[in-house]
Amino acid sequence: MAETNEEVAVLVQRVVKDITNAFRRNPHIIDRCHMHPAASKPRLYHCMEREHGSSIYKMRKNQQRRLGRKELILSGTLNPIKDLHLGKLALTKFPKSPETWIHRRWVLQQLIQETSLPSFVTKGNLGTIPAERTQRLIQEEMEVCGEAAGRYPSNYNAWSHRIWVLQHLAKLDVKILLDELSSTKHWASMHVSDHSGFHYRQFLLKSLISQTVIDSSVMEQNCLRSEPALVLPKDEEAAASTEEPRINLPHLLEEEVEFSTDLIDSYPGHETLWCHRRHIFYLQHHLNGRFPQSMTQLSPADSPGGTLSDLHLIPAGSQLSQAMEVDGLNDSSKQGYSQETKRLKRTPAPDSLGLEMEHRFIDQVLSTCRNVEQARFANAYRKWLVTLSQ
Amino acid sequence: MKLYSLSVLYKGDAKVVLLKAAHDVSSFSFFQRSSVQEFMTFTSQLIVERSSKGTRASVKEQDYLCHVYVRNDSLAGVVIADNEYPSRVAFTLLEKVLDEFSKQVDRIDWPVGSPATINYTALEGHLSRYQNPREADPMTKVQAELDETKIILHNTMESLLERGEKLDDLVSKSEVLGTQSKAFYKTVSTQHLPPRCSLQRTVAACCFWHSLL
Repeated sequence: MAETNEEVAVLVQRVVKDITNAFRRNPHIIDRCHMHPAASKPRLYHCMEREHGSSIYKMRKNQQRRLGRKELILSGTLNPIKDLHLGKLALTKFPKSPETWIHRRWVLQQLIQETSLPSFVTKGNLGTIPAERTQRLIQEEMEVCGEAAGRYPSNYNAWSHRIWVLQHLAKLDVKILLDELSSTKHWASMHVSDHSGFHYRQFLLKSLISQTVIDSSVMEQNCLRSEPALVLPKDEEAAASTEEPRINLPHLLEEEVEFSTDLIDSYPGHETLWCHRRHIFYLQHHLNGRFPQSMTQLSPADSPGGTLSDLHLIPAGSQLSQAMEVDGLNDSSKQGYSQETKRLKRTPAPDSLGLEMEHRFIDQVLSTCRNVEQARFANAYRKWLVTLSQ
Repeated sequence: MKLYSLSVLYKGDAKVVLLKAAHDVSSFSFFQRSSVQEFMTFTSQLIVERSSKGTRASVKEQDYLCHVYVRNDSLAGVVIADNEYPSRVAFTLLEKVLDEFSKQVDRIDWPVGSPATINYTALEGHLSRYQNPREADPMTKVQAELDETKIILHNTMESLLERGEKLDDLVSKSEVLGTQSKAFYKTVSTQHLPPRCSLQRTVAACCFWHSLL
C-alpha cells in the first residue's frame, strides 16, 4: 500500500511530537532504557518504542521509506535545536558515541549556515565577535562536552568536538579561548590522568599564541618584539570598551607551568601531567624563539628514555584520518618529532634560565618523591630536556 | 578523581562485620546504584577478610583502587576510589576516620555491631569532603611519615583469593548481596567472556563495576 509523502510526513510529525512530549515529561527517560553496555549504537528510537509503545511502532510498520534524522531536519519537520537536545540525552548514556558527535556537528553546521542572521558581528575596535545566538550555541556545546568528558575517561570524541566548536563556531575568538582556559582549570585538576583534557588546554594556549600573532601582524603591533607589558582586562566592561583585549602570553604560559608544578607535586605518578609540562615548556621556548605558527607535537613516547604510554596520546596518524580533522596543526607523532628535532637543531638553544629552572624542579621532585612512577617520569623529562638543547 | 565508598569494619576471628558505610554512587546509572552499593560492601568485607591485622594495602581492579587499613585492634577501614585519587590522601582519611570512630564508639560494641546499631554519623561528611583531596587535606604534600609505612599492592582482586577459590562462589554464598544483585552479577559475568577459562571468568567477574558504568 503506497502512501503519499504527505501521509508519511504527518506520521513523522506525530512521532516527533510524541518523542518531544515524552522527553519533556520525563527528561530522565533515557535512564530507563536498559541497554547493554556493549551495545555499539545508541538505538534511541528503539528505546522510545519500549517506553512509549504504540504510536512509534505502528508508524514503523506502516512507513515505506525510513526517514533518518537528517532528512527530518532538512525537511523542516524536526527542529535542529530539539535534535541537539535529543543528542544531549543520548550522550548521557553513550558519552563516546562517534555517530552522535558527528551528527551533532552536521546539525550545528546546518544551524549556522541556514539562518539569515549573521553568526558574527562587528563590535567597535574588537573586530568581529560571535553574535549572541552563536555564543549561546557555543556555551551549550561546551557544557555538553564537559558532561560527556566527565562520563568517560579521556573522552577523545568529546574533547575533539569541543575543539571543533571553537574552531568553526567561535572562530578561535580570543575572549572565548581565555574563558575556556580559566573555566576548565578546575576540571583538569580533578582529572589528572585525562590526557584529552590537558591536550585541550594545550590547544587553547596554542590557539591564543597563533591568534595573537595574527592580530599583531594585522594591527602592526610590536608585542612580540618587546616585552608584552599589557595585561588582559579582567572585567566585562573593559572587554566591551573600545580597548581591544590584549593577552600577556608569557604570563599565561607561566601560570600554566605553575599549575603543572602544583599538580605534579600533589598527585605523583601521572604521566599526563609530565606530558603536559613538556608541551608548555615547548610552547614557551617557541614563543621566546619568536617563531610563528605551525607548531608540531612532541610525543613523549618518541623521545629517548621515552616512557611507555598506555594513555592514548594526542592524535596519532590513525585518528587524523577522521573526517573532521579537528587538530589540523598536528602531524602524526613520529613524523612530527623528527621534523621537530631538525627544526630545533636549526634554532637558537632554548632559554637557558628556563632550562635551569626545569632541571631544578626535576631535582626537587626526585629528592622528595617516593613514588616509583614519578621518579621514572621525572628522569624521562630530564632526558627530553637534554635532547632539546643538543 | 573520585571516591565511591568509605566503610568501617571489624575483623572478627570468625567473620568480618560491617559497622558503618557511606557511598557516593551518583556516577552510576540510576537502576544500578543499589547493586553497586551492595557489591562495594561485599568487596570491602572480602578485602578485610583477606588482609592481616596491622597492614595497609591497595587492591587494584581495572580503574578502581580499594585501599584498606586493618589496625592491630581489628578495627578496619576500606575506601574505594578511582585510579586518579592519591593513595596518600586515602590512607590519611582511613587513619583519621578509624581514630575518630574508636573514640566515639565503645570497643565492646565493635564485634557485634551493624550499621543500624552503631552510632557514628561523620562518615558521609568525610566522604563528601574528601572528594576534593586538596581542599580536605591541604597538607597532603608533606605526608612524609605515611610514606614510610609499607603498603602492600595487589594488582587484582583475584590475588586475594586462594588457589581454586572462585569469586562466583563467594558471590553466591554472600549474605550481603541481594538476589537481584546476584542475578545481575551472573548476567554480567557470562556476557563478557565466553567461559573458556574459569580463571579468566573469575577475573572478568571482578570487572562488573566497569561494565556498569
